[in-house]
Amino acid sequence: MTRFVESTITFPYKRSLGPLVGAFMTALTERRILGVRHGDQVLVPPMEWDPATGAELAHDLVEVGPAGTVESWTWVPSPSAQHPLRHAFAFALIRLDGATTPLLHAVDAGSPSSLDVGTRVAPRWRGSRVGRIDDIVCFVPGEAPEVEGEDAGPAEEPVTRMDYLASITYTNPVPPATDRAVAATLERRLVGLGCPHCGRVYAGGRGHCPIDAVELGPDCEVELPQTGTVTNFSIVTPVQYPGQTETEPFVRAFVLLDGTDVVLPYSPVVDLPADQVRVGQRVEAVWAASADEGEQGGMGGAWGALAGWRPTGEPDVDDPDLVNRIF
Amino acid sequence: MADAADSLVEVAVVGWAHTPMVRHTDRSETELLMEAITAALDPLGLTRADVDFTCLGSCDYITGQAFSFVSNLDAIGAWPPKRDSHVEMDGAWALYEAWLRLQEGDIEIAVVTGSGRSSTGDPALIYPMEMDPYFLAPLGADPLTFAALQARAVIAAGIADERSMAEVAVRSRGRGDVDALLAEDYLRRPLRRHDVPPITDGAAAMVLATGPRARRLTARPAFIAGLDHRTECHYPAFRRLDDSPSTRLAAAAAGLGNGPVEVAELQAAFTHEELLLRHVLRLGDGVTVNPSGGALAANPIMATGLCRIGFAADHVAGGGNRALAHATSGPCLQQNLVCVLEHRS
Repeated sequence: MTRFVESTITFPYKRSLGPLVGAFMTALTERRILGVRHGDQVLVPPMEWDPATGAELAHDLVEVGPAGTVESWTWVPSPSAQHPLRHAFAFALIRLDGATTPLLHAVDAGSPSSLDVGTRVAPRWRGSRVGRIDDIVCFVPGEAPEVEGEDAGPAEEPVTRMDYLASITYTNPVPPATDRAVAATLERRLVGLGCPHCGRVYAGGRGHCPIDAVELGPDCEVELPQTGTVTNFSIVTPVQYPGQTETEPFVRAFVLLDGTDVVLPYSPVVDLPADQVRVGQRVEAVWAASADEGEQGGMGGAWGALAGWRPTGEPDVDDPDLVNRIF
Repeated sequence: MADAADSLVEVAVVGWAHTPMVRHTDRSETELLMEAITAALDPLGLTRADVDFTCLGSCDYITGQAFSFVSNLDAIGAWPPKRDSHVEMDGAWALYEAWLRLQEGDIEIAVVTGSGRSSTGDPALIYPMEMDPYFLAPLGADPLTFAALQARAVIAAGIADERSMAEVAVRSRGRGDVDALLAEDYLRRPLRRHDVPPITDGAAAMVLATGPRARRLTARPAFIAGLDHRTECHYPAFRRLDDSPSTRLAAAAAGLGNGPVEVAELQAAFTHEELLLRHVLRLGDGVTVNPSGGALAANPIMATGLCRIGFAADHVAGGGNRALAHATSGPCLQQNLVCVLEHRS
């Protein structure tokens, strides 16, 4: 049975708005909606360029709405976590009074039977507005705008930037070769997979040969030595970001395993201060005391209980080509 | 224009393959590609070493991994170093780039792919993040909503109705009863469950060869007679949703009007899109549309468009004379690619 892992990736974007969109967003905090003139047309939302030709438009902004007319709509019976309302609502194309193009937004209509093409709607403003399109919570049937909660008033400064938090959860299969490599580390073994065509050996549970583009099954497994030589390294000065647990500069070394062509990348070192790591240094594998510890510290992931590498005390290897081996 | 066309290097689809199209695979995208590329090359007696250029189409947003195309390179056997490119688009656009590259005339064989594991995330939550970041993404404006608004426009224009949409669904999937389907509740009115595509994992790989090589590799290469793609503005509400001018322009530039086609493979993920595209492309009753079942039968995002070209090529390889393939990208058919394939003696 293939194992799956869930991971959530979050991107906290900060987007510059530019002169035109910035003015539109600033106006939203004032409970005003702006369009841009383009000949006889008024485009809402405003664009800096002609949507048809790409020619730059004069930034001639004009207030529209706030009420408008539904031109088209669809009913959302089961909203997603990203939708503006937690209960069933409509997404609609709304032509605001004075605009020549429709705006897509939500309408809190109660039921689909209370909406039709031609229905008049007005905005329900958020009480606390920051200069985003969802400063308008949604539109509601009728001519009269509403404010949700207490009105905190307009922004004190022009809005030039907006936050947008993108967060996505993925479920990915773990290749069986990775699981087998991790299981071996719990027995304090390092295993690799040898390609039957080119003879190259891959560590870290990579279940295929990227040169010959063939899958490598359990029959390709080979035992790897637990001693090697540092070929290259970097000292990382940690920058604090969400999830960063390191506070002091730390080493990531590349280790060429003895008698093989296998380089283990980005390896931690143990019992070895950062300023004493050298290219050519002889090292041996250090194992985590328990599987749990292996999951949390050391190399983790595909390397399981391998905690890192410590000096053996043997004389250094003197080979000027070593430094080129990072994979 | 005739002079320009005459100076083009002849390029043909000589083979292609796709993985099983399933709701959920436990194989990685790289493994899917490895399988598809081998299956496309093997019957031609070619190996990866014979391939002069590759172009892969995939999407990091769907995979959930930055630079995911780098691990996909493991599937092409990129050693010694290869000429390679990537598009963050459906494999049909990878084919466009490979076709352009083959026009240089210095190489003979290209492989293009499209791959995606839609089951990795929730498409209903991922796609809104790819929309306009200022006016659409913060509202969670999702593909079903856009499709429903376009369906309403297409119905209002008299190009489709709910019954003809259900008929498209029954024909594409080869199952179901129109009256029974129309009795179902709306998912996003006017769309019901049968009007929307499945979520599919899968990959496809295609082999392109220049004229003389193509003729040596296979009995009936499907020659690319014309290929073009056009895009429209990004905010869907600024467009006429009951029309697809970009499709019309791409079809004209691809030479659709130069002769009749017997088969059209259209990337219509929603039933009304097929009816709109037929209308815009002026496909008559004599044209068999989506004999493969189309995107309503299997919708492997990033490979769906390339599969249309593959099935159209199958028609030519199987004895047909001329076929049309269409691929699309973006909400409400924003960007459209048209490829005309033909038999040449």
